[in-house]
Amino acid sequence: MRKRTLQRGLTGFWWLTVAFLYLPLVVVVLFSFNASNSAANFTGLSLRWYQRLMGNEEILSAFANSMVLAITSSVIALAIGCLIGYGMYRHRHRKLGWLIVLIYLPIVLPDIVFGISEMAFFVQIHDLTGLLQPGLGTMIIAHVTFQIPFVALIVYSRFVGLDPTLFEAAKDLYATPVKRVVHFMLPTIKPALISAFFLSFTLSVDDFVISFFTSGPESATLPIYIWGAIKKGVSPEINAIAALMIGAVAVAAILSLTFSRRRQA
Amino acid sequence: MSETITADVADQPGATPATAERQQEAATRKASSIEMQGLHKRFGRDTVALDGVDLNIQAGEFFTLLGPSGCGKTTLLRILAGLEEPDAGSLVVGGKNVTEVPPHRRSVNTVFQSYALFPHLSVRENLAFGLKMRGVRAAERDAKVDEIAGFIKLGDLVERRVDQLSGGQRQRIALARALVCEPDVLLLDEPLSALDAGLRSQLQVELLRVQKRLGMTFVFVTHDQQEAMVMSDRIAVLNGGNIQQVGAPREVYERPVNAFVARFMGHDNLYPVTARRGDRLTTALGELTAEEGGAGELLLIRPETLDLLPGTVEGANHLQATVAERLYRGSHAEFRLEIGETTLQATVNNRGRHLPDVGDRVTVVVAPEDLITLSE
Repeated sequence: MRKRTLQRGLTGFWWLTVAFLYLPLVVVVLFSFNASNSAANFTGLSLRWYQRLMGNEEILSAFANSMVLAITSSVIALAIGCLIGYGMYRHRHRKLGWLIVLIYLPIVLPDIVFGISEMAFFVQIHDLTGLLQPGLGTMIIAHVTFQIPFVALIVYSRFVGLDPTLFEAAKDLYATPVKRVVHFMLPTIKPALISAFFLSFTLSVDDFVISFFTSGPESATLPIYIWGAIKKGVSPEINAIAALMIGAVAVAAILSLTFSRRRQA
Repeated sequence: MSETITADVADQPGATPATAERQQEAATRKASSIEMQGLHKRFGRDTVALDGVDLNIQAGEFFTLLGPSGCGKTTLLRILAGLEEPDAGSLVVGGKNVTEVPPHRRSVNTVFQSYALFPHLSVRENLAFGLKMRGVRAAERDAKVDEIAGFIKLGDLVERRVDQLSGGQRQRIALARALVCEPDVLLLDEPLSALDAGLRSQLQVELLRVQKRLGMTFVFVTHDQQEAMVMSDRIAVLNGGNIQQVGAPREVYERPVNAFVARFMGHDNLYPVTARRGDRLTTALGELTAEEGGAGELLLIRPETLDLLPGTVEGANHLQATVAERLYRGSHAEFRLEIGETTLQATVNNRGRHLPDVGDRVTVVVAPEDLITLSE
């Protein structure tokens, strides 16, 4: 009997946790459909905030910035991280522990430290050379920097999971170095690459702190716009943006997960 | 009985009619011979994998590299494949020096121990991989894959996914994937070691049949002396990076050149020769007469060449023994005999006659022509 009580208690706790995690999101999504101006009472369903959103130049440009930033940085991070991941795999037998720590460090470093360092660095370079004007360019560089370790680790773990003789089999079956990459390595790690891309994309869209420190006047992304707008109070429009972002990030995360689980492309 | 055996062995070193015929066939198919000279390979500072290997493999031969793990047999195979570069020495395949040719430009294919089938490709794509890399057109690739699938009897396996295959099926796909490229030489790295005994002997027969029909040069690596004897035209026994002996299976088994080869081929009856007068050799077993005394310091007596007579029978090369242990194996029985302080193994075929029991006194008859001496 006691066992059953415990069982029920734990189930209840599970649902409590889920509610704690998702209730705020549900509220935001719900109020984005609120017909009234008020953030306090719900008066009926309406799409007016979404319509307002579509008419707001600032929001549309922030959305465009977010997309350009996320896609560009993810593609660059994918290329570089993929090479690093392969390098880590190729030299896994050497004593390179310190190098691996270097790769991990950006993952555990607080965003604010990372953001401030990037900003200070870019300002120095800009003062010296006139290059790296704060804007989308500097943001892309900053995002690529924090995405690389994730891509490298995903690619590395995929390679480690392979039978090492496969590399030799490809050589043995007449594949030149280039053909080995095209016909063996890339197709084999394709699920890992797709998964890494969506993870990088999600991380980029989510990021506020690092973007905030490295952005310029013209390059506000959605999180930066929201932060600015919120200083004037939470408008239902913000709820609509938030709801859209929740949707986009959820889709990217699910895609990332699906491809990382799928063994065959 | 034992006389006919030695007669057979005598003409073994050259080629039996069957191998001559096969080599004829092989020549028409352009199978390649392999010449290795002074191959050295070391890993790190201390590990010597190959310590100067000279070896010639004839075109169309089923050749086995046999030895315990760490003997250098796999390193040698990898050098043949081009996956490892020798520190010194040369390798000539089909008259061409390929010592420094990278693996993707050698007409040599390997069946790997782990099979190494590409998980991202279907079975058909796996089979066609080598042809595709060589730039063979799709239609021709398909035709060749179908041809090899028929030859190896793969049936509908070709249309499956790799992760749907059993171990034995993977093994056959790996073999077909290598064969479809029609290499000059096929290398096999313990391809049967992961399979259970029944499947293993079935695939041994199949592999042998494929090799004979294609007339291709096969180089086979194994640590199993039984497998080596069943499969091979010739065997090279390796130890510590050196070749100990090269010869036909019967030569290596019946006339091992040293104690290592003898022990590795499964012989336990080795006795130090304490004194010799011509062909009369004294060991812990007593005095025995060999047909040829030789010069080696160890006497080898193969268990299956011994005859056991019940009771005490006097005679030349007759030893008085007591049965200490009997292992009945159905087709034959293995005896551990005690002669004074020394033990001797004997294997007797079960012809339905009386088999001595533990504790029985027996007389061991040793035929002079079956006695050979060898060095440590």
